[in-house]
Amino acid sequence: MALIDIKNLTFGYGAKGPAVLKGLNLSIESGERLAILGGNGSGKTTLAHWIAGWLPRPAMEASQGEVLARGKAWPEWNALDRAATVQFVGQIPMQQLSGFAFTVYDEIVFGPGNLGLSADEIRTRADWAIDICNLRHLVYRDPFTLSGGEQQRLSIAAALVMNPKALVLDEPTGNFDPESRDNLLEQIKGLPRDLTIILFDMALKPALAVAERFVLLDDGGIVADGLPEEVIQHPAAIDMFGLPAVTEAALLIRESGKFPGKARLPLTFDQAVRLFGGVPAC
Amino acid sequence: MLKAEGVAYHYPGGADVLSEVSFSASAGEVLALVGRNGAGKSTLLRLLNGLRKPTRGSIVVDGMNTTDTPVHLISRVIGTVFQAPEQQIFNATVHDEVMFGPRNLPISAEERDRRVHEALARTKLAEFAKHHPLDLDQARRRFVALASVLATGPSALLLDEPQRGLDARSRSLLETIIRQEQQAGRCIIIVCHDMEFVARLATRVIALSEGRLSADMAPLQFFTNPALTAAASVEAPDIVRLSQALLLPPSLTPAAFAEAWLADRQETSTQV
Repeated sequence: MALIDIKNLTFGYGAKGPAVLKGLNLSIESGERLAILGGNGSGKTTLAHWIAGWLPRPAMEASQGEVLARGKAWPEWNALDRAATVQFVGQIPMQQLSGFAFTVYDEIVFGPGNLGLSADEIRTRADWAIDICNLRHLVYRDPFTLSGGEQQRLSIAAALVMNPKALVLDEPTGNFDPESRDNLLEQIKGLPRDLTIILFDMALKPALAVAERFVLLDDGGIVADGLPEEVIQHPAAIDMFGLPAVTEAALLIRESGKFPGKARLPLTFDQAVRLFGGVPAC
Repeated sequence: MLKAEGVAYHYPGGADVLSEVSFSASAGEVLALVGRNGAGKSTLLRLLNGLRKPTRGSIVVDGMNTTDTPVHLISRVIGTVFQAPEQQIFNATVHDEVMFGPRNLPISAEERDRRVHEALARTKLAEFAKHHPLDLDQARRRFVALASVLATGPSALLLDEPQRGLDARSRSLLETIIRQEQQAGRCIIIVCHDMEFVARLATRVIALSEGRLSADMAPLQFFTNPALTAAASVEAPDIVRLSQALLLPPSLTPAAFAEAWLADRQETSTQV
């Protein structure tokens, strides 16, 4: 059984709102690392909310099609089970702080405190999440005095501590400088392998760092789904992201007929160095 | 067009955020202002557009010294697009927002209409003229802020992270507009973390490091100097790093790299 099964989903905001998602089908298996990519206004955040079961029940029931989590439609789930199954981390870290925890530690234990767990279990989970997100030195700080990057790590820790099956990340590094971005991506990459990661983004770098499967969203529908190197060459993808500069260079070289062997197109700097450096230079 | 001399600035009661910053910018130049978070980039922008006054030194914009010129006069010459367009949008329709600047200029009603019409067309917002700016997606909001600035016809544009959050389609529209402004002889200063964007557009890089100017040079020269890029906490674009890793002549663009790589390969095969 798929972890998330989206069947023919058509959805718009309000009774008269235009459809944002248009007859969308998508199946996500447990343990997958998936990037859902789309441009401005493609429906990314709406789809992310659906996957996380985050829409109000009447809105979900008024839509066409359905989203099943482990075989059961979202409206049939209760909030606690849902929160322990899929966790969502949004674009703006500050908006996810509960607002009534005075320390980072309290913010992290707030979620599991509502799951009816023993104090020991909560402590163990909190310690694990704190270490994974590198927050140990910040546990006594006021969440609102943290930097944006630290707040985003806190949001992820507060999601992980729920021990979810899947983590949905909506442009988690959109507001970061490159250094903080790369640090956070390293941490996401290092998350336990059995955790399903669904990353929504419109930049290729985070997706290439984290995901093994790319899904391309355009105008509320899926236009490509497959391996990263296939999907990023789809015309809609080139239209949205452009190509990585190293891939663009490789394509120019391929046009000249001098491409080294039958090698795959490089997507990252490291792949390009291996490919072009593999040819004897002197 | 724009000249900063020995500029220093500190917030009240604080240490210097900027010290000894001197540079100048001419018409038709695109300057990329780079540096890590907290290096003083945004403070420098606010000094250039007169929102803050230097504690020491001077900034002269189009012949006006910002220290003793009222901000509304400076703003006729320098247009600023801030990072978060929400912070500079306060009218109920896109049209009114873009009209706000021209309405405060000593120009005829026809000229105002012409400028607003042109700015909306260039930013592809004509069909959204009657929408509330905050009902638009992130990319279009950015273009509303840019259109408002273009409509005032400034001689210099300050853009704070204008490419952030834009997909390739929107980024390419932004690039087109920046190039048109450059060709029209405006002086453009872009604060930018995206070095691929800098490599495509900038004619010069100004780097700030701990409040001081650590570089003022051509992009290729800057990107190939590891000490300077490290001081500014920027990573050179992949293409520059790739050409260096392969010991080829440094290239800024994919086309330049392809040419250099093929030439090198040609040479190798002739030698064999």
